[in-house]
Amino acid sequence: MSWLYLMDLTPEKLRLIPMVVLIVIGCFGLLNSKTMLRSLLSLDVIDTATISIFVLIAASAGSQTPIVTASRYSSYSDPYPQAIILTAIVIGFATQALLCAIALRLGRRSPMLRYRDLEK
Amino acid sequence: MIDYQILFPFLIFLPALLGFVGCVIPKITFPLSVVMLLGYAASSLNYIGRDIAYQFTLVGEGGIQFSVDSYSFPLIFGSCITLLIVFGLFFKKFTHYYYQICLVLLSALLISFTTVDLVSMFISLELLGFSAFLLIADRNDRKSLFNSFQYLIGGGLAMLIYLIGVVQAFTFTGSFLLEDLVKAPETALCLIVAGLLTKSGVFLCGLWVPNIYSHANSQSSAVLAGCVTCAGIAPIARMSQILNPISDSMIVIGVISAVIAAIYAVFERDSGRALGWSSVSQLGIAILSPTYACSYAMQHGICKALLFSTLYSRKADENLDSSAITSSNNTPSKLSVTNELLRVIVFVVASLSIMGFPFLAGFITKNWIKYDIPYEAKIIYTTAALLTSTVYARLIFDRIKDFIRQPYARLVLNLPRASKNLSDLFSSSQNYILILSVVGLILASNAAPDLFTFSAVQSAIVSAILGGILFVSVVGIQADEFVKPVTRTLDLVGAPFLVAALLLANLIYLKI
Repeated sequence: MSWLYLMDLTPEKLRLIPMVVLIVIGCFGLLNSKTMLRSLLSLDVIDTATISIFVLIAASAGSQTPIVTASRYSSYSDPYPQAIILTAIVIGFATQALLCAIALRLGRRSPMLRYRDLEK
Repeated sequence: MIDYQILFPFLIFLPALLGFVGCVIPKITFPLSVVMLLGYAASSLNYIGRDIAYQFTLVGEGGIQFSVDSYSFPLIFGSCITLLIVFGLFFKKFTHYYYQICLVLLSALLISFTTVDLVSMFISLELLGFSAFLLIADRNDRKSLFNSFQYLIGGGLAMLIYLIGVVQAFTFTGSFLLEDLVKAPETALCLIVAGLLTKSGVFLCGLWVPNIYSHANSQSSAVLAGCVTCAGIAPIARMSQILNPISDSMIVIGVISAVIAAIYAVFERDSGRALGWSSVSQLGIAILSPTYACSYAMQHGICKALLFSTLYSRKADENLDSSAITSSNNTPSKLSVTNELLRVIVFVVASLSIMGFPFLAGFITKNWIKYDIPYEAKIIYTTAALLTSTVYARLIFDRIKDFIRQPYARLVLNLPRASKNLSDLFSSSQNYILILSVVGLILASNAAPDLFTFSAVQSAIVSAILGGILFVSVVGIQADEFVKPVTRTLDLVGAPFLVAALLLANLIYLKI
């Protein structure tokens, strides 16, 4: 396991590895999809991975919810990235909804939604 | 004295507010939006070229920062004029729904021109993407729906790449401000720039541009070419002003984009697609110089809006829409030859302006860029200008040929009709807008009289003539075999990755 020390892996970096793998899976799916529906789902995978990265980075300072109550904790997570990623979640949802609407319209003519049929 | 901490946010969100009010009361939308656009254009024209910057923070201390400065004013002016031209020329076709999209688009544009915060930039670019999506899908047939799908999925992916870059920069700098990117690592910069380049449609990321411009409605193409692609220019210019490695890479990308897209445009047979490729090439030129990028994008946007509005004769334009609007009661009998001739003249003048012909607005902006870039880039810049002249020589030739073929064309030389033709000229409001825009393009060349040296005028004229000669020499080449339209979704989607990787290699190892 000496290569782990060579790469200077801190716990924060180790926690990000699954998310990076998820992004790679999503990109692979997006670049290799043969139908519209698959690329739509792959985009959602990348979206989720990006949001998770934001949440994990916000949690690197601590994992307590950043709300001031009577009892004080020692380690609060950073509220700034968490507040910002809420917008990105909503935007991702809107993108998915619009893409689904387009897929519904195009699906009337070519129900398989294959790029081979649509790109003519 | 008005408090501009309140005034500027109100001005930024006014178009969106007007758009939503217009949904409830459709009748007031058109006059109010025209008045508002005129006001914006006049007030921003007042500040172009002056070194004024207003900073304000949206929600008190630690809120979102905006900066209305010399990058914003030209682009605000350009977008307002583009929207005015489109509203004025096509207002008979519009429903209040179209006005609403355009006004929300303007709001998103104003945010992206003025913000210095990376997350607000993300939100405004996504809003811009949705509005552009609705504009592309407005034609409502199968191909335009698929084009808009490609645009949305490519734009969404580019914005996710941008967001990953932003979060990586955040872990190093602890803020989302544009000026703090100096401390950010190279990978973050590459991801951010790749996302912005895709939105602004520079080559390799901007492969979606020709497909979409050629197939959308003329009014949608005009808005897309005039406003939407400008949104990425302001942040790129701001970034390359403060970051040296980025500004060096922008010169490489801009030069490549300018030349290759212009070559594609030379060998393209379809006029709409050629205009799209030329748009990619012009934006590549615009990012060469951070100081004058915004002025160049403004001039290019206004000229492209005029070009797309007058690309087809009015009859062909109405036939294009007749599949969507089945009401055939508006008989095109009022087609007067004067109107068509005016459209051809506007097309020619706007083309000449993009070519950089003297005594037009394009001459000024082209020379500003030319004197600002390093000597090595200047040679390739001149090549790109020559290729652009070739493209527009062909476009002008095609447009005039198309006009002369029409049966009514010989009425132009009919002297007894001259007085009637002249009265036709002032009969419709659309003609006034066209005449005003041509006069404006000519008057804009007075902005910098010191640029009119003998050698600059000479080189511009020679470049235009050489472009014409080059056009005659390549017109016979059958290029259909090796210039095929890029329509595969994979190519459109994968381009940002490739650009991000190339940029990273450049910043870390090559250091061009």
